[in-house]
Amino acid sequence: MKDFFSTVKFKLLAGLVVVLAGMMAYAGANGRLTAAPQELLGAVMLPFQRISAAMSGGVSQLVDKYTRIDAIMEENEALRQENAALRNQLVDYDRVRQENESFQSRYNIERDHPEYTYASGFVIGRDPLEQFFGFTIDKGTRDEVERGDIVVSDQGYLVGRVIEANLTSAKVLTILSPSLNAAGVVSRTRDNGILTGDSAYAPEGLCLFTNLSRDTLATVGDQIITTGLGGVFPPDILVGTIRELVPESSGKSTMAVVQPGVEIESLTHVFVITSYDGELLAGQESTPDAGSLPAPDASNGQE
Amino acid sequence: METRQKRRARLLGKWFCYGCVLVLGGVLQTTPGLLTIGNVKPVFILPVCLAVAVAEGAWAGAAFGAVGGLLWDLTAGRTAGLMAIGVLLLCFGAAILLELYLRANRTNFLLLAGVGCLAILSLDFLFNYLMRGYARPAERFLSVVLPTSVFTAAISPLAWWLILRAAARFASKE
Repeated sequence: MKDFFSTVKFKLLAGLVVVLAGMMAYAGANGRLTAAPQELLGAVMLPFQRISAAMSGGVSQLVDKYTRIDAIMEENEALRQENAALRNQLVDYDRVRQENESFQSRYNIERDHPEYTYASGFVIGRDPLEQFFGFTIDKGTRDEVERGDIVVSDQGYLVGRVIEANLTSAKVLTILSPSLNAAGVVSRTRDNGILTGDSAYAPEGLCLFTNLSRDTLATVGDQIITTGLGGVFPPDILVGTIRELVPESSGKSTMAVVQPGVEIESLTHVFVITSYDGELLAGQESTPDAGSLPAPDASNGQE
Repeated sequence: METRQKRRARLLGKWFCYGCVLVLGGVLQTTPGLLTIGNVKPVFILPVCLAVAVAEGAWAGAAFGAVGGLLWDLTAGRTAGLMAIGVLLLCFGAAILLELYLRANRTNFLLLAGVGCLAILSLDFLFNYLMRGYARPAERFLSVVLPTSVFTAAISPLAWWLILRAAARFASKE
């Protein structure tokens, strides 16, 4: 046994463990998740991840097409009938309506919020152990994406925040994570609360809207939006709808279970709001309940 | 008699192949939606590292495990080094175990990959879920950790086959 510990190989291996532990401590102490060599490796991995993500999408669509052949045929028949009915309608009206819907879906947020600057990003990575559906996108500091930037879906629904931005990629913490807190308001009643995630609801793709007053008039189906207070989250970003109202354990307030407007676990494309009017300048502090970005150590893949 | 130059080229080629398989594993592991059943997706990096440890022995396997673990840390956005140390120790232990007590065949490797994955995922579950006080830990363990380990074990023969092919392709002909 003594010989084993005195071998050069063992000493090398022990040295490697010490270096790795040092890297981990350095990364933690400097408020970063990754070290410089990893960022370099990330840049090398990016093209492969992009290709793989694209191929995966194509294969999934192909498999999906053949496994749902019966449903597709039924849908086709229904569409034929619908098409026959639509022929009787005004052609111009139909064309304009479809064009409008298509445009609205794709450019919704640009039209609603011209004051925002966006970066369009594709989801290129998801870790199998990530319980709050955090992901990696293919845009980084090169595209002006920075830590703390807000991420929204194609339709303009809040998805989360960037917790780490490398040169060519960025990691996103979703609203399903308990580490994310955002000030929000019920659109109809203007009741204030805190939007956050919960490990009990995250597997179902739901999040919570807490600190609602006990006598709130909010009901199921009401929309939740961000307030913009504190300058961390832009105002009036759609979050989702109230699915259920339950009393908090203290009994002093109510919390709403929120169905986000987008399925975060299957997102493939997002927009990052890289700047907007009223955004906090670097170094400025936000109010504690206005929106908080978790410490990197607590907001990694596992939050 | 193999010249030193040829030997160096052979070893370089072999480790390059191992590296390529590892990168492939990393890419497959993070590809959104690929081989995902429910919320469960297999871990690709771990079987690749274990297969290299089995093929190349404890020391080289441990070093390769550290590289694979770092890649895992990177792609998952975790604190750098945590998974690297875990995979390093696992590869070292697995190689010793196979060297001393088990025969290196596909069935044993499959079991090893399953148990090893369960150990690593359980550790991750302990530090990143249980100790943080998140809700429904038992449900999380049974619905994600266990199935992921089984799923990983199921795909592990693929890594075993690829690494053995590379090892055989670049094996010394003497």
